[in-house]
Amino acid sequence: MKKIAVLVALLMLVAAPCAFAQVSVEKAKAEGKVSFYANMTSVEPVMEAFQQKYGIKAEYTRLSTSKFIATILTEHAAGKLTADVLQAPIPVMELLKSKGVIASYVSPASAGYPKWANKDGMIQSFGIEYVALIYNKDLVRAADVPRTYQDLTNPKWKGKIVMADPATHPTTISWLVGLKENVIKSDAEWRAFLKGLAANSPMFVASFGPTPAPIETGEKLIGISMPKYIVTKAPAPLDWAKVSQPMMGTPRAIGITAKAPHPNAARLFVDYWLSKDAMKIMADQVGEYVLAPGVYPPISAIDKAKVIPIRELSDDEIRKWGAEFKKIFAK
Amino acid sequence: MQKTSTALTPGLIAIVGFLTLCPVVMLILGSFSGELGAFGAFTLEKYVAAYTDPAFAEILVSTVIFTLGSALVATGLALFLAYLNTRTNIPGKFIFGVISLIPMMVPHILFAVSWVLLLNPSNGMINLFLRQLGLEGAALNIYSLTGMILVEGLLDLPIAYLVVAPAMSAFDVALEESSRVCGASNARTLIRVTLPVLRPAILAALTLVIVRSLASFAVPSVIGMPGRIYVLATHIYSIVATGYAADYGMAAAVGMSALAASITLIVLYRRLTREGEKYVTISSRGYRPSVIDLKGARYPLFAVVVLISFVLIVLPVLVLFYTSLVPYVMTPGAKAFAAMSWRHWATVLKDPVSLLALKNSLYLGIGGATLGIVLSFFVAYVIVKVRSKASGLLESLSFLSFSFPGIVVGIGFMWFFVQTPLYSTIWALLIGYIATYLPYGLRPLTSAFVQIHGHLEESSRVCGGGPLYTMRRIVLPLLVPGIASGWILMATMFVRELSLSVVLSRPGTEVLAVQILRFAEDGLWGRLSALGILMIFISTALVVLANGIAGRLSKKD
Repeated sequence: MKKIAVLVALLMLVAAPCAFAQVSVEKAKAEGKVSFYANMTSVEPVMEAFQQKYGIKAEYTRLSTSKFIATILTEHAAGKLTADVLQAPIPVMELLKSKGVIASYVSPASAGYPKWANKDGMIQSFGIEYVALIYNKDLVRAADVPRTYQDLTNPKWKGKIVMADPATHPTTISWLVGLKENVIKSDAEWRAFLKGLAANSPMFVASFGPTPAPIETGEKLIGISMPKYIVTKAPAPLDWAKVSQPMMGTPRAIGITAKAPHPNAARLFVDYWLSKDAMKIMADQVGEYVLAPGVYPPISAIDKAKVIPIRELSDDEIRKWGAEFKKIFAK
Repeated sequence: MQKTSTALTPGLIAIVGFLTLCPVVMLILGSFSGELGAFGAFTLEKYVAAYTDPAFAEILVSTVIFTLGSALVATGLALFLAYLNTRTNIPGKFIFGVISLIPMMVPHILFAVSWVLLLNPSNGMINLFLRQLGLEGAALNIYSLTGMILVEGLLDLPIAYLVVAPAMSAFDVALEESSRVCGASNARTLIRVTLPVLRPAILAALTLVIVRSLASFAVPSVIGMPGRIYVLATHIYSIVATGYAADYGMAAAVGMSALAASITLIVLYRRLTREGEKYVTISSRGYRPSVIDLKGARYPLFAVVVLISFVLIVLPVLVLFYTSLVPYVMTPGAKAFAAMSWRHWATVLKDPVSLLALKNSLYLGIGGATLGIVLSFFVAYVIVKVRSKASGLLESLSFLSFSFPGIVVGIGFMWFFVQTPLYSTIWALLIGYIATYLPYGLRPLTSAFVQIHGHLEESSRVCGGGPLYTMRRIVLPLLVPGIASGWILMATMFVRELSLSVVLSRPGTEVLAVQILRFAEDGLWGRLSALGILMIFISTALVVLANGIAGRLSKKD
């Protein structure tokens, strides 16, 4: 009996927003404000556009990935979570969902999005933090640009590669594991790739953030990095290697908090966030790869590229693989 | 005097204890908690996992070399510079004031990055130059333990200088004169008399730099990681960064070893300077620092100082200014000069968040340092002049949150402040800053207090001066250089503070370093440099202000 009641309640929770999907702009305006916690950078233009369109104050709190869960759970436990809307990589959102931080909501604006982008009626993926081989186009000849990921193991790249530390950086770890699961497939070949890459003694940095600088200056020539820097760091001489294999990345997702202080404004914000207008701002100004159909960042040939989401690795898996990569990449 | 001291000590222990213990207690709870937060079922797992890690031994060795090396570089340079400045007739003395302070104001991450631009093995500017001269073998690799030590040593030089210089300038010349009368040379006097008498200040500087470099993150991450050299701070970072649900409890468990090391150092320091009377140099008789004539060595030594200031100030600031003008990080050349513009400056000056951050950091710098120095004054007094068991406790307490690696202590403060109504207000930042950086105010003040003989106070009391009168007319004026040093250290630290701010700042309470970090994470070095230069301007203004006031006060007496 109890189980059924819980089930009914759950169903109602899921069904209710679907049934009354139209958010009341008046109610949202009456709430006057929406608070947005995000790990994404440079979203200010979207916040401003929302504010202009609806006259509702949109406040952006930036939390880096490593502090995201610690901060949200601390505030949540103390009853001081002021966020209405959260944005983070999928694994972070999943963990927060398991702690009861995320509410159900399916935005009507997500209509054209791929099916995999919303599995539970709570967490909505809207983009992929895509990873590619980024190189200095002034210093690398066209003929030398890698055509497959495995080309990176060519000894000509020895001492010329920069990448985030594969022992600790979760996105790089997930990407390397993603290569095995989606691209290279044969375990022996994948290990050969890792060994070859390690033999080229790549320089390690803490995260993706510091990867483009050494490529721009020519300290290194190529790196495992993000194509969005081609947009944000223009006119730096950066380009991406158009390999024959698909590009991969961790999905970026958004969701409303269970105890949102401004629930209507929160929904309106999510609707706007997923709209073509907002997605276009993100693609054009920040170089993000977004899931809104037909919207692409202004990067050559990116509209023809295949970009796939990586399977969500648990933290245990990330640590296990991190330790493994640490051994493989040891000097 | 006894009466006031007895009331003062417990009161101060309560205040300082409250400030520094709260975050540390939360971290201790977190390190034993089975959950991600501070409150979970008791477990020892995190300690077991942290200290049975096979990589840990190697990390400890690098950490010891790195911190000791940085401390020796910083203190050695500080002694050299302070001696030349306060005790000799070297020309161009104004340079010293600047040298010792600029590295305090440059964001550490930028300072480290500019050294990478100069000395990376692939295309570092100095290395390219050496190669052009055909000196391939002379090319240097910044990504090494030596590189880390040099850069961290330079960054921490101001801390050491501001502790050593006041002590050096308050030196009783009679001691040196006696030595010379007995036939010792200048060099021998320096080694046998001057340096031993300065022992408290030297040890204080060493302690402070060791503790600071233990917690430092910029140099280990920007220079250490590419060279695959891990120290405690980067090890803790990797614990926090690997995986999405960062376990700060485990990071705190590792951080406890930094805490233990710092407390050991403080105890050691107290033991080594136990016979306080030995170091008293300002007694009531003939206090007047004398000037040593350098004669022929005057200009060669001046050249060395100019070289040091070039390396310390001109190079990084030039790199900063250059980066703020070019569209992306380019190696200098015709192309770079053609592409220069004020674009980044315009963006920063129009950005409302950057402007708010400038304002908040300025308030926190002035307000925080002033409150902090008042507290430091009383604490230093108790530590030096009362010297009971309780004052030892007070000294250890003051170092508690300071000695935790930055990444961890911020979380400790968050766990604490979220339980209070101060959470996400600017007061949380203010209190956190003072609690964490109390040693910056305390060190220069204690080493200044150590040198003032009790006779001075006693004479005043004998002549009928009350405790407050004695304090105001006798003790305070003699402490002015120490107070100014402490205020400057605190104010410039608060203006560029990152570790706590990044966790505690919220919309409306943005501060400079957090804004700079955002630019760094997005790789926007141009805007970062523009804002960094504005930050240096603010700090410089604060220093000029402090020195101006201190100069006037000293003259009056």
